[in-house]
Amino acid sequence: MHPTDNLAGYALGALEGPEGIRVETHVATCTTCASVLAQYRAVVSTLPMGLDPVAPPPEAWAAIRAEARRRRLRVGQGAGSWARPNWRRAMWPVSTTLVASLLIWNVVLQRELTRRAPGPAPGPEVEALSRRPGRLVILAGTGHPGASARLFVAVDGGGHLAISGLTPLPRGRTYQLWFIRTGASAVTGGTFGVDTRGLAWAKAGVPASLDEVRAIAVTEEPAPGSVSPTGQHLLEATTWR
Amino acid sequence: MQVGEESALEGLYARYGGLIFTLALRIVGDPELAREVLQDTFLRCWGGREAYDPARGRVPGWLMGIARNRAIDLLRSRPHQARLREQEPLAGLTSEPVQRDATDFVTLRRAVASALQGLPIAQRQAIELAYYGGHTQVEIARELGEPLGTIKSRTREAMERLRAVLWPLIEPKRGG
Repeated sequence: MHPTDNLAGYALGALEGPEGIRVETHVATCTTCASVLAQYRAVVSTLPMGLDPVAPPPEAWAAIRAEARRRRLRVGQGAGSWARPNWRRAMWPVSTTLVASLLIWNVVLQRELTRRAPGPAPGPEVEALSRRPGRLVILAGTGHPGASARLFVAVDGGGHLAISGLTPLPRGRTYQLWFIRTGASAVTGGTFGVDTRGLAWAKAGVPASLDEVRAIAVTEEPAPGSVSPTGQHLLEATTWR
Repeated sequence: MQVGEESALEGLYARYGGLIFTLALRIVGDPELAREVLQDTFLRCWGGREAYDPARGRVPGWLMGIARNRAIDLLRSRPHQARLREQEPLAGLTSEPVQRDATDFVTLRRAVASALQGLPIAQRQAIELAYYGGHTQVEIARELGEPLGTIKSRTREAMERLRAVLWPLIEPKRGG
């Protein structure tokens, strides 16, 4: 079913977590809604043009340029010879090859994960996700020793979670994935249960950017899920690339 | 944008700096905070912290998205002060034209202003509370004392009206 009534709210960033995740999940596989959403987003980006323009203070650009130069200097010093233009040019083919290799490796790895992982078979949508380039985040069982999870984040949005070692929950309880942000409320990536062996495959909603995310965690919550995390972090990742 | 490409940063600033400042000011209601948002937005782009993904829209939309998110974050982190500032006149600031490349921009700007003015007040309010106020639809429904379904319908109808008018003006320029 198309989330027709929610696409506009989503484009405006005005949906609550679970609703937003449902839209994200849907548009990942529905070209019709993805196209409408793209048009809504383009329209939303023009909204500021409807305001009476106010010029920024004249000194604003100088401050931005000065800060940009300061940061460039810092990057240059930190990276040593990377700051030398010729060396950077020479490194382009190498870095491009490296990135391509990593992407290919990631895709191969995900196919292996999809093929070999025990537990319930992933559905076609999860399999489709695993074939897209992306990155892998490992969640350790910080609050549940022996448990672990792998979150695969596709570069073009969406993700899936492979979990092992969690305890099956009674009725009325659910596991919930969270993206804990700095200076903002946590965003949920979805809820899931595990089978009798403690295994699960689940589709996950992933924020467009992980820049503001300081931790990715799984908690136990009352079903059908909480607005913000209330349980202990059973699984957690605080670093990823 | 690669780190170090100062001319590219300057070009982006010349083109979108005024619009971003205007947007930020509308959201946070304070020139100093708006300037903070402006600076943060461009430094994020320049430093590569926010990767541009062409699949998710054009450059202006990407920039406006970053600026709006930063402004809303700021608004939420200092709700009380910001609300107070919202009620104060913006002393020392006057509406003035910002330098831009002329014809297309002016045409689109007029179209946006006219399309927004053409919306029924309730629809425009739903859009503005969401976009500039950073409110969720649940919050808007609560604030206006309306059913959530009504807010969703209003928002969708407003967006459809805006799309009908604006998309034909935006669509041919996609990719820039």
